Amino acid sequence: MIEVEHLRKWYRVHRRPPGLAAALRSLFHRPYETVKAVDDISFSIAAGERVGFLGPNGAGKTTTLKVLSGLLHPTEGRVLVAGSTPQDRARSFLQQITLVMGQKQQLLWDLPPSETFLLNRAIYDIPKKEYEATLAELTALLELAPLLGKPTRQLSLGERMKCELAVALLHRPKVLFLDEPTIGLDVSMQATVRGFVREYNQRFGATVLLTSHYMEDVAALCPRVMVIDKGKLIYDGSLHELVRRVRPDKRMIVRLTRPVERRDLESLGAVVEHRDAEAVVQVTQDALQGAVARALSTLPLHDLTVEDPPLEEVMRDLFAQGRAA
Amino acid sequence: MRTVNVIRAQLRASLSLAVQYRLDFVVEGLLAILWMAVTLVPLLVVFQARQQIVGWTFPEMLLVLGWFVGLKGLLEGAVSPSLMNVIEHVRKGTLDFVLLKPVDAQLLVSLAKIEPWRSIDLFGAAAIFLYAFRQLGRWPSSTDLLLAAAMLGTAVVVMYSIAILVVSIAFFAVRVDNLLYLFQSIFDVARWPSSIFRGTLAIVFTYVLPLALMTTYPALALLGKLTLPTTVGALVGTALFAAFARAIWRVSIARYTSASS
Repeated sequence: MIEVEHLRKWYRVHRRPPGLAAALRSLFHRPYETVKAVDDISFSIAAGERVGFLGPNGAGKTTTLKVLSGLLHPTEGRVLVAGSTPQDRARSFLQQITLVMGQKQQLLWDLPPSETFLLNRAIYDIPKKEYEATLAELTALLELAPLLGKPTRQLSLGERMKCELAVALLHRPKVLFLDEPTIGLDVSMQATVRGFVREYNQRFGATVLLTSHYMEDVAALCPRVMVIDKGKLIYDGSLHELVRRVRPDKRMIVRLTRPVERRDLESLGAVVEHRDAEAVVQVTQDALQGAVARALSTLPLHDLTVEDPPLEEVMRDLFAQGRAA
Repeated sequence: MRTVNVIRAQLRASLSLAVQYRLDFVVEGLLAILWMAVTLVPLLVVFQARQQIVGWTFPEMLLVLGWFVGLKGLLEGAVSPSLMNVIEHVRKGTLDFVLLKPVDAQLLVSLAKIEPWRSIDLFGAAAIFLYAFRQLGRWPSSTDLLLAAAMLGTAVVVMYSIAILVVSIAFFAVRVDNLLYLFQSIFDVARWPSSIFRGTLAIVFTYVLPLALMTTYPALALLGKLTLPTTVGALVGTALFAAFARAIWRVSIARYTSASS
């Protein structure tokens, strides 16, 4: 569905030191600098896949999405989405994709969302029957009924995002580019959006490429993740494998029937947290079995669970490794 | 068919937007009437002292003013608000959504916002025409009317093309609101027949900023004074100008880099 080969997107930006003198000088002489927003990345995504796109701010995630959706022309490389070259902006291509941006909105601000829906119906030339069916489906899935008639500016951020999703999906696109769709939303609204994206993907077999700052989004939605840093693709594979590779250690969470000394825990591994009758111990994968056995035999255990390290930490370590390299 | 549907849906949306605020509707309507009255003042002042100016009598001059009022209504009621909207889109980066639609972007931005109360200007223009022809004591022939309609078409196209050119600059310079206001001020010149201007100004207002095309030619057409070569020249010139504006727009769209994230 999506093929990207050696994609590069470089910007020429004008740089100047701060200060009025520098500003005046820059009127006559402008030093330019090339920023490599995306620097030689290749990947391919099959139809129906849900892929998470991770990376720190300015890593090139949004730029890549914009190239894939045809908004930006690549500096170099070949991009094919749904059989078309995005930057040609062919009607048949645009009809099959959608881009949702958590920080920008297409709903008409002063009018109720239903007006934007009608406008998009005309723009995408959706037959009446199909439009009504899709709208009914989206309304049910996202619980939009009470929102459709209120002016957009009176909706809360979460309500607006639900309407944004609906308006972006009215034409039943085959490829969804979601750029931070849950930004600023509260936890339950994030969960609603996630659930909806998964549902849409399964029901219509749509391909989803999602960027997010919230690891929860990615963990809940995307079996496959791609990590981009400073314009380069540094990882492409399953989320599970990524965690295993970056942080091969596990976390043993023990709840005890009575408090124990810290040194009793230290024999298991590195103690991350220790409060009276509860502790988190970091153990390497190889030592895990032995540590669990030891805990069972030496500690007054109430409960024991083994978890992967939190995703936020995995990411922090991953990008730190990237910087050090 | 899609194009027609899109135009209809857009007009619908911008109309609902306009009537969303009832008080605005009343206030803006009253303002439109007031402005029209103000437009008449300079003409009345000038003709208190003399019978005609460079060959134009008062009622003839009223015809030019009628076109001016009508076109100004169109400019300020439909063209400018929509294009100001584009400039806003460029600044905020929401033009992305426009460019992602499987419809021509120029079509989408051209009717995005209209102010329907400015249609009062069109009624005003009609009233001015009626009064002028009563003063003249004769009515235009059907050929004259047809020709005038054609000239009105070219006038609208030229005005719109100038506005599109101004907006295209927004892709490079980002802040061009003032340029659009500048155009609106220059357009004020079109209240006078183009033959009032001599030398460089005459050339500028005929060929560079074709204001003559907008109000003088349609007025001449109504008077039955528009010659065939001028008509053909106006039609061809307009087509070329529109094609040029469209080309510049397309180049600008390609250069659009969109605001980050």
